Amino acid sequence: MPIIELTEVSKLYGFGDATAVALDEVSLTVESGEFVAVMGPSGSGKSTLMNIIGLLDRPTHGNYKLNGRKVERLRPSRQAKARRDTIGFVFQSFNLLPKLNVLDNVALPLTYKGMGRVKRQKRASEILDRVGLADREYFMPRQLSGGQTQRVAIARALINNPNIIIADEPTGNLDSASSRLVMELLSDVHKAGNTILMVTHNPELTRYASRVVFMHDGVIVADEQSTIGEVHQSLRRSMYFMPKTTEEDDLAGVSALMQAIPEKLTGKKKAAKDKKKPKNAKTKYKAGANAKKRGKKS
Amino acid sequence: MIGRSGNLRIAIEALRSSKWRSLLTMLGIIIGVVSVVTTVSLGEGAKRGVISQIEQSGADLITVRPGITENNDNKTSGLVGSNYNGTLSNRDLEVIRKVPGAYSVVPFSYVANTASQEDVIFNKGLVIGTTGGLPQVLGQKMQYGTFFKEDEPQRDTAVIGQRVAEQLFGENVPIGKFMTIRGKQFMVQGIFEEFDTSALVPGTDYNYAIFVQYDTGKELTGDSDIYQILVRPKKDVGSSVLAADITKALQKSHANQEDFTVLEQKDKLAEANNLLTLMTGFVASIAGISLVVGGIGILNIMLVAVTERTHEIGIRKAIGATNKQILNQFMTEAVILSSVGGVIGIIMSLLTNYLFRIFTDLTPILTWPIMAIAFGVSVLVGIIFGVTPALTAARKRPIDALRYE
Ligand SMILES: Nc1ncnc2c1ncn2[C@@H]1O[C@H](COP(=O)(O)OP(=O)(O)OP(=O)(O)O)[C@@H](O)[C@H]1O
Ligand SMILES: [Mg+2]
Repeated sequence: MPIIELTEVSKLYGFGDATAVALDEVSLTVESGEFVAVMGPSGSGKSTLMNIIGLLDRPTHGNYKLNGRKVERLRPSRQAKARRDTIGFVFQSFNLLPKLNVLDNVALPLTYKGMGRVKRQKRASEILDRVGLADREYFMPRQLSGGQTQRVAIARALINNPNIIIADEPTGNLDSASSRLVMELLSDVHKAGNTILMVTHNPELTRYASRVVFMHDGVIVADEQSTIGEVHQSLRRSMYFMPKTTEEDDLAGVSALMQAIPEKLTGKKKAAKDKKKPKNAKTKYKAGANAKKRGKKS
Repeated sequence: MIGRSGNLRIAIEALRSSKWRSLLTMLGIIIGVVSVVTTVSLGEGAKRGVISQIEQSGADLITVRPGITENNDNKTSGLVGSNYNGTLSNRDLEVIRKVPGAYSVVPFSYVANTASQEDVIFNKGLVIGTTGGLPQVLGQKMQYGTFFKEDEPQRDTAVIGQRVAEQLFGENVPIGKFMTIRGKQFMVQGIFEEFDTSALVPGTDYNYAIFVQYDTGKELTGDSDIYQILVRPKKDVGSSVLAADITKALQKSHANQEDFTVLEQKDKLAEANNLLTLMTGFVASIAGISLVVGGIGILNIMLVAVTERTHEIGIRKAIGATNKQILNQFMTEAVILSSVGGVIGIIMSLLTNYLFRIFTDLTPILTWPIMAIAFGVSVLVGIIFGVTPALTAARKRPIDALRYE
């Protein structure tokens, strides 16, 4: 039984003429133990998808089965409990509570389970040790570096032994060294048997994933198995779906875009040509159709 | 017990992190509690005063008056009798004297309403004809001189209250001095100790009274109408029993007409109590408005807190807090605000009480039940005004709350 099963899930914002389609009939099935990297340009609906899978948001249409149970129309309290017991979140902006110390932050999910104070602090202490922050228990979040903060957030996500970890750009605010530590940690968690869904803009990080999903305009345009330890290869084919990583790149124009593409991929000229029309309607349509076909196959 | 202890800690932490704001919010409740509690305890103090005063003059005193005087809570009723649609006569006096339970029976007759001395005229009180049992019936001692003896031969002397001494004679001890009542000279033979009075006790202020012997008064007026008879029961005879007996006896002699009223002291007590309770309640409910204002302060600050902490609410929901748990968190906070405010208010009320006792004649009384009710009301205010913000917090959609910055 798949742990996550989305069937033609759509998410619309606004109504009437102003309707924006964040997810367009997305179907996705994730088996237990997978490490799925979700990629795609900004605004392609990655976060929207994660929020729906994480029960933070409700789909406008479509069905969602979590552990075989239909959950998309559950009452808020049931959703909260499902969230508490099966899903752990890691956010780009960490989202620790600034007024609680590290230990209390990590122990917080257990509070909502009704566990006693001594017990939950003991457990939080163990998890902190596991992420290598045993000596930071009584620090306040603002006293930690970004990488440390994200490790605390991961500890918090792990404390309830959730089956699924949802990480939306967990390394988005970190430098490469910190990113590496955080990714090693997530990788360990994956090896321990957890299912991980991670949004990232960094193709390097696909080396930790067992599967890579590409999104564009609210549609899954590619969904491929990947070998752990290697940067996903067909990345090159889908390269033009890659986001422009920073705003500066946006402004810098074509030359900067060319920099973002590995030179050995194509001749410089070809790359430049492709980049000039990234929103080619025909290509997009094809990509979407491919995705649907693939969805049916799996 | 889901997260209860956790909520308490969270709430205390949240309130401590904005100490001034919490304190100012509590101020409304504090002021409300102090004003309500102080009003009620002043009322309670006044009640005790009245009770002790009435009990001092004897809780078992029975008053018989002519006419039906059901609503006699005005100040003059004690002096004039409410209405003369019936009379009490010497015959009635004798009837009452013969009732077995009556120990001492003292009539009051109206003699005059002015007395003069040289060119001073005293007209604020009454000249009353009465008999020797009066000090004993009222439980009142003499300050100077003596009262008439029972069965004493008739003499032209008078016993006066302290205000009469001051205002008619301009001195404290005018023993042996003369005054003129209805053209006749009377010598002062005694002065009562100050009667303990309160404006709130229905009855007579005897500090303004001039007493002459009953028979002398009768001679002066040629009239034998009695406007009031005071009766004290024998030891171990209940005043209610005696009152009933007197009523029966009088009815019989009045040919079954009830043209008289037998009042027990405890009726007066109940009357005074009712009046005070009404007044205290009225003032307290006006003061209670400040409690509502305090509650609105809590409502306001909690709404602000919920908005400020929207992102926090999002985080808590993301890691599994249910709506109910969020609701509890903010309810706890509101109730802590109001109940701590209540406790501080009660402490301040104790202080206020103390100051009243030191600097004024008032003796407010702050009882445990008053304090308990004040605390309970504060908690209630927190619950009532905390519910809306807490519901707002609880009902936020997780993703919207999480996105809020
Ligand atoms: N609350 C909202 N109201 C209206 N539109 C929204 C809302 N949230 C998201 N959207 C729209 O839905 C689309 C998908 O947004 P989403 O956040 O999922 O993108 P994303 O792939 O995570 O992008 P990024 O890589 O920049 O994080 C966007 O076009 C966005 O404008
Ligand atoms: Mg996003």
